[in-house]
Formats: sequence, structure tokens, C-alpha cells
Amino acid sequence: MQDFRNRLFIVTVILGLAFLVLGSRLWYLQVLKGEEFAKFSLENHIRVERIPAPRGRILDRYGKELVINRTSFDIYVIPKDVKDVPYLSVSLSQILNLDTGQIEKDINSALKKKSFKPLLITKDINRDQLAYLEARRSSLPGVIIEINNLRQYPHGVLGASFLGYIGKVSVAELENNSKVNSNDLVGKTGVEKGWESSLRGDDGYKQKVTDALGREVESNLFQEDLQNKKSLPGNDVLLTIDIELQRAAEEVLGNEAGAIVAVDVNTGEVLALASNPSFDPADFIKGIDSKTWSNLVNDQSSPLLNRATQGLYAPGSVFKMVPSVAALNEGFINEEESVYCPGYYKSGNSTFRCWKRGGHGWVNLRSAIVKSCDVYFYKIAEKMGINNLSKYMTAFGYGSITDLGIEERAGISPSREWKQKRFNKPWYKGETIVSAIGQGYVSVTPLQVTMMTAAVANNGKLLKPALVKEIVSYDREEKFKHAPIVSGNIPVQKRMLDLVKDAMVGVVNDPGGTGSGARLKDMTVAGKTGTAQVVSLDNRSDKKKHMDHAWFTSYAPAEAPEIAVTVLIEHGGSGGAVAAPIAKKILEVYKKLKEQREADDNV
Amino acid sequence: MIMFDRRLIKNFGWFLFLMTLAFSAISLLNLYSASYETGLVSFKKQFVWVGIGIVTLAFVSFLNCKLLNRYAIYIYGFSLLLLLFVLVFGKEVAGSKSWIDIASIATIQPSELVKIAVIIILAKFYDDDYQATPYGFLDLIKPVILIAIPFILVMLQPDLGTAVTILLIAGSMVLFMGVKKWSVAFILIVVLGVSFYSWHYSLKPYQKDRIRTFINPSSDPLNAGYNSIQSQIAIGSGGVTGKGLRSGSQTQLRFIPAQQTDFAFSVLAEEWGFLGSIFVLLLYFTIILWMLDASSRAKDKFSMLVCFGVAAMFFWHVVVNVGMVIGLLPVAGVPLLIFSYGGSSTLTAMIGIGIVLGIRMRKFPMQGEAIDLG
Repeated sequence: MQDFRNRLFIVTVILGLAFLVLGSRLWYLQVLKGEEFAKFSLENHIRVERIPAPRGRILDRYGKELVINRTSFDIYVIPKDVKDVPYLSVSLSQILNLDTGQIEKDINSALKKKSFKPLLITKDINRDQLAYLEARRSSLPGVIIEINNLRQYPHGVLGASFLGYIGKVSVAELENNSKVNSNDLVGKTGVEKGWESSLRGDDGYKQKVTDALGREVESNLFQEDLQNKKSLPGNDVLLTIDIELQRAAEEVLGNEAGAIVAVDVNTGEVLALASNPSFDPADFIKGIDSKTWSNLVNDQSSPLLNRATQGLYAPGSVFKMVPSVAALNEGFINEEESVYCPGYYKSGNSTFRCWKRGGHGWVNLRSAIVKSCDVYFYKIAEKMGINNLSKYMTAFGYGSITDLGIEERAGISPSREWKQKRFNKPWYKGETIVSAIGQGYVSVTPLQVTMMTAAVANNGKLLKPALVKEIVSYDREEKFKHAPIVSGNIPVQKRMLDLVKDAMVGVVNDPGGTGSGARLKDMTVAGKTGTAQVVSLDNRSDKKKHMDHAWFTSYAPAEAPEIAVTVLIEHGGSGGAVAAPIAKKILEVYKKLKEQREADDNV
Repeated sequence: MIMFDRRLIKNFGWFLFLMTLAFSAISLLNLYSASYETGLVSFKKQFVWVGIGIVTLAFVSFLNCKLLNRYAIYIYGFSLLLLLFVLVFGKEVAGSKSWIDIASIATIQPSELVKIAVIIILAKFYDDDYQATPYGFLDLIKPVILIAIPFILVMLQPDLGTAVTILLIAGSMVLFMGVKKWSVAFILIVVLGVSFYSWHYSLKPYQKDRIRTFINPSSDPLNAGYNSIQSQIAIGSGGVTGKGLRSGSQTQLRFIPAQQTDFAFSVLAEEWGFLGSIFVLLLYFTIILWMLDASSRAKDKFSMLVCFGVAAMFFWHVVVNVGMVIGLLPVAGVPLLIFSYGGSSTLTAMIGIGIVLGIRMRKFPMQGEAIDLG
């Protein structure tokens, strides 16, 4: 037995060593690494739940709501927490009008995958459904109602082209903005995009204690570890738009493709910015479905194009203000000097036709503008050359964006350098001649034309157009207030500009003026018509596609200008016949709204 | 027959008995905390099991261990029958047929109880054998068969953890009795060869899956190693003094897997810290030492070996279980005796302690025995 006693001694040593190893490991885990593991255990059971902040509202200049938020109730199911899958599926499908089999299938497949993520059943249920569901909630364990914010458009499609739409954030947008999370909806176009950083709120969060399955625990055992942060709604953006004028503009456009721009000539504030055809921003509220999206993108009428700021057109005769100002100021003409218009103009071997085949006879600057004689402008263009002309085109803002803050295109203000760079070819005299009547390479947006007219009306200040009047935080703190910005002064003497303005009054009010369709009884309107030839490269048999674009640009009242209105109707035909009467309607509404508002103020 | 002698009371191992009671109290307190969030169901059941265990312990300690020697073959045979029974009629839990349902009130796990039978039958083998020199391979054929039968039956359930524990306990006893060096090497080669062959050629995929399941339990919902990581976070975050009773976030929010059974030690370490876990380890150490001491004082070979076997059983359960929860050994379903919730393992531990107590209090020759010996 002594032998065994010796062996027992060895066994005791082994026993001691084994316990030493276990004890050392405990020392390492609990004493040496204790604090580190304590941190792990804290992070283990705290789940951060984001509280999405509502986007700011978009309002018109008088505070009328254009884009607001509403609460949506989204239904999720935590598969693990469901007690009776078939019963829950039947109940949910009855309340929410959904397919029983589909719900059951989804829950079972989530269970099979051991997924702990809440399973989306449906988004945005209505109030009745919510009431039913709330009433039966206790008998339906596992159902979660999540509250979200969705965009709402009280005026429907009105102003969609500049308000823009929202959509799921892209990878690139995610990288540039720390406030955005994947799956968030962000502004994709228009004001929603341009003022995204103002509109976006600051998301809050709520920390919750969860058990190992990720389920929220009601216990107040570990509450002291928690932190919360409130969500802050985004700023409200007050636009310069008058939604009533906008409504009038969209109504008069009717089914015609085109654009209407109305701007305050003294401040550059855009009062109306209509583009037709347009889209329904409501389609984008929850993220657009692919079918609706592809329909919009493939639509031949380009509903997603904002024609007022992105549509590029030959301006035709509305452009004639530019050569007029240029030639007057550079001393190539004076108001007296007359030109004989036989209906055509010869330069070298080329013949350029006036729109009036029979010719206008003797015309001076005023009558050339009033009657829109082309030959007069061919002549002065040839006289002053492209360098002088393009200098004034640039001064009026052509060839560069106005920096409105939404999608815009710069268009083309042609010059020798431009042509050399673009086509690597010299400039020809004939190209100067057609440029003077707004044809050839010249391409402009309706907004640019309006800003030109405004600059004429306010005696030479090219204003930066504004779409946003004010930005106010959710707690009424003013973040931004618009003040007019002069982006350039037109180099012209007031005396000379007065000549052009007087001619523009004549266009509308003189007998034989091309813009008589815009004449108003109790307000003097000044304007200029344009009928731009369409050089269509496609040989579509559609006759409409080859019709001229109808333009009319105007300001009023002529004595103390307040508003500039430009109308463009794609393939509308004659500017005087089609566009001028539309501008007249807008000006009428403008005047009526103004009088109404003054009357209201007096009360 | 049982002769009652006043010396039995006098020589009763009060120290071990009181320690067992104290230990049971600590384990119940720990289980109270671990099962609080689930309505104390397992705490209440374990309370009953500990009660039954202590009564069994007292009963067993008053049995003369000569009876165990005499009926060793019947005890062994009965436990093998139970193992066969469980394979046929057993209740399947988590992929293993290890449980016998007794009238739907309780389930018992014969594979736990069979450990005691293996200890007794091995002690009986060596007691009958008078060889003095180390055992060679041929001398060991009989004990190897005695170990192999229950081992294979448990593997068939399959319950790898318990099977390996049986092997470790029996192996310790065989090594303790002495084995020739070459035989040790030969047995090792055979065991490794058979395991390798069966893993690659003989086991069906689902069987391998079951074995993998035991190495890395499928209760693991997130990824491999989740259980071990959560357990170590729990233990580490307990720090020196622990988070306090019912205040361990890992425990109360159920981040610790199987926290009432195999990972009960993690609960203790989280809520009572380094001080608490070392205290319990020292209790185990003392209990095992006490058993080895009883072994060294035993008056015959059978008693000595039985005490040694029970000590080995406690030792291996502590090493494999604690080693697993502190991340030193792979996750395998081996409970911490008395500490883990489970009737069969608690009963097994109590019977083991009872046998050792019984041997210890009969270390002096007694009246009746002298007659009996004649």
C-alpha cells in the first residue's frame, strides 16, 4: 500500500497543477482583463435604435404648405416572438387585407434562417387598420408597429418640377454625408436635393436593453447604462414661389409642353416656375417602384425634365434685345437710323430671309422691335460682328447657369473662341447674322430669357434668381433670409435701355405690334415675341415636331416694373398668337392676386 | 447485513458532509440567480434533486462497501441494461437519446450513473487481481472490455462529453494501478487509429454532425464560438468582486448559453467575481483532496480504488467543465458536478460522496466484520 501512497502524492501534485492552471486563467480573465470584458458586456446588451428625424417642410412665399410630412405606421413581425404563426398570419391578413399564405411563408422562412431582424409585413397602414390592430395587439405577440415620416404633397403635382422628388440614398451620397444612413430617403432633384442639408433633420437615438435574442427587455435592471438623444426636425424652407401664381401657370399650360417663368424684376425672386409635362412626386414617397420609374424615364415627353431651367431652345426673336442693346451701346446704330427691309438680306453670296416675306419697308430700332423685323437685326449684327454680340450675350447671362440652386443647363452663348474649341473651326459671318435673331448656335433656357427681361426692366441689373426666400429652423430660428444679389451689370446707358423698353411697350401696345395678344386694359405690359425655328434632325412624320417654338417674354407694369414673365410653348407655332395670350393670363392673375392681398392687408 | 455501530457516527466524515451541504447551498443560490428570469423552474427542481441527493448520500454512506464489492457485477450489469434501454426507449433531446422519462415527472440520464458502476467494476477487477508489477496489454484486456462496453453505448446515444468523461475516469484508475510503458503507447495508438478511421470511413455524415454538435453545440445561434465568447465575456466582466446576485447582465439577459447547466460556473464568475469563482474552485480542490486522503487511508484495495475513482470523477468534471467555460477547452456537454442543474449528475455526485464517506468511516475494523471475515 506504501507504493500507492507514493502514487497518491504524485496525483495530488497533478491535481494542484491543474487547479493552478484553472485559477491562473480566471486571474487573467477577471483581474487582468476584467475592465475590458466589462465594456464588452455593456455593449452586448445595449441596442441603439434610431429615431428618424422628419424632413423640414417646403412652403411657398406666403407660408402655404407645399411639401409636408405625415406619420406612417409600418408593420413588422419579430418571427421568434410569434406564438402561433398560422393564427397570426390569418389575423394580420384579415386586418391588413393581405395574403395569408404569403405572410405565413415569410415568417416561416425567417424562422428557418434564425433571423432576428424584424420582418416587414407592410408599410403605411391606414387609421382604421391601425385601430383594429392596436385593439388586438395583446393577442398577437411578435407584431411591431413602427412610426415613420413620409412626404406629403397637399397641392398634388403642383410645382413638382422644381420641388423635386426624394429617393433612396445612393452609395456616393452616403459617403458625402455623415447624417445619412443607408436606406434613408434623400432629395434627388429640385429643392429637395438643392436644399437637402437644410431640410434634413438630425436623427436621434434611443438605447434599449436587449436580451441575447435581441428582444427588448422591460426590466429596469440595467437602465442606468442607457443614453438617449432626441431627433431634431429639419429646417423649413420658404420658397419665393407664389403657389397661386404657380397654379395659374400650370393651368394655362394645360396639355401643352412648355414652360412659364415669373420673376420679381427687383429682387430676382422666382414667383412661378412651371414646366409641363411633369410627374407626380407622390409616386416617390416610399421609394419609387421600378415600373413607374422606367415609365417616367422612357417617356418620350421627358416629364422629369424641368423645361424652365433645363430645357434648351433657340430663343428666336425674344433674343433681339441683346443685339439692340449691344449695337446701341457700342455706337453702331442710333434710334433714328433706318434700314430698308425688302423681305430678305444679302451678305456675300448668302441670302437671309425676313420672317415677313413681303418685307417691312423702312424700319428703325423701335419699329424693328415692334414688328420683329429680322433684316434690321441681320444688318446691325453684320455691322458690329460676333465679338461685340457675344460680349452682350455673356453680360445678359447666356451661356452660364443662373445658379438658382436646382438642376439647370447653361445653354450656348456662341463666340469665336467657343466655336474654335467646340468644332475646331473658324467663325463665319453668316453665323453672326443668324445669332442676332436667336437662331443658329444660340441656345437658352426660359429662365435665362426671363432674367434678361428682368435686367432690361430694372435698368440693367442682371439678378441672380432666387428660389428660396427664407430658411427657418423647427424652433423658429431664422437660418437664412434672401437678399437680392446682382450677378452683373449690363454695360449700357439708361437712355439707350429706355429706347429698348419703349419698343417693348410698343410690341404689346402699338397697332401692328407682334405681342398685342398680351395687351391688358389696366396695366401696361412690355414684351417681345419669338418664334423659333426648330431644326429637327429626326425625320419623324409627326408634323407637330417640326412646328416652331412659341416664345413670349414680358414685364409689367411698364412704368414701374414688378414682374417679368416668360412663356415658352414647344412647337406651339407663332409666339405672338400662342405665347403672348398665355403671358397675359399670368399677368392678370398676378395683378388680381396682388390686389386681393392688398385688400386683405387693409382689412 | 448492516451492523449499526456508534463508531460509525463518531467516524462519520462530518467535514465532507457539511462541505457538501454548504456546496449544495451555494450551487442552489447560483441557480436561483441563473433561473430567475425563467421563473425559477430549474431552481425548484434542483432543490428537490439536492434533497433526494442528500438522502441518497446518507443512505449510501451507511452501506458497507463490502456489499458494493460483492454486488459489483450486478451493479455494472444493471447500469448496462439501463444504457441499452435508453438507446431503445429513450427520450431524444437535442439530437441525443440520453434520457429516460419517469412517468413524465422527471427524466434521468443513465450515462451519468454509469460512471459510478464503471468505478466499482474496475475497483473490483483490481481487487480480485493480485498482480504486483505494472500491467501489460494482455493483462488489461478484461478492464478494457469493461470500459469499452459502456463507452460505446454512450457514444451511440450519442453523448461524446459523457463518453469521454467515462474514459478519463477509467483511464486515470488504470494508469494509477500501473501500466507498462509500451502498453500505454500501444493503447494510445489503437485509440487514435480507431477514432481516425471511424471519423473518416465509418461514421455517417449525420453522426459526424452530431459529434460536431457536441464539440460545438447547435444552440449556438449566431456563429461558431459564440457560446465560448459569451461565457468568457461573462466571466471577465465579473472582475474581482463580481456584479452581485441577480445583477449579471450576461446572465440575466441570457447571453450565457446553457447557463443553468453546463455554463453555471460562468454565472457564478460573473456575479461573484474572481473571489467567488476561486472560492468554489478551492472547495472542489478540498473535496478532491479529502477523497484522496480517504483513498490513502482505506484498509483494502477495493476501497482505495473506489475513493480514487470518485476523486477522479470530480477532478475530470471540474477540469473539463471549467476548462470549457473559461475558454481553455472546446465546448462539450460536461456538467460541473452538483453545481450544474441536472438530477442525474447531482445524484451521481451525491452517491459518489456517499460511498467515499462510507469507506472513510469504516477505516477501523469493526465488530461485525471480524465475524464476517471468518
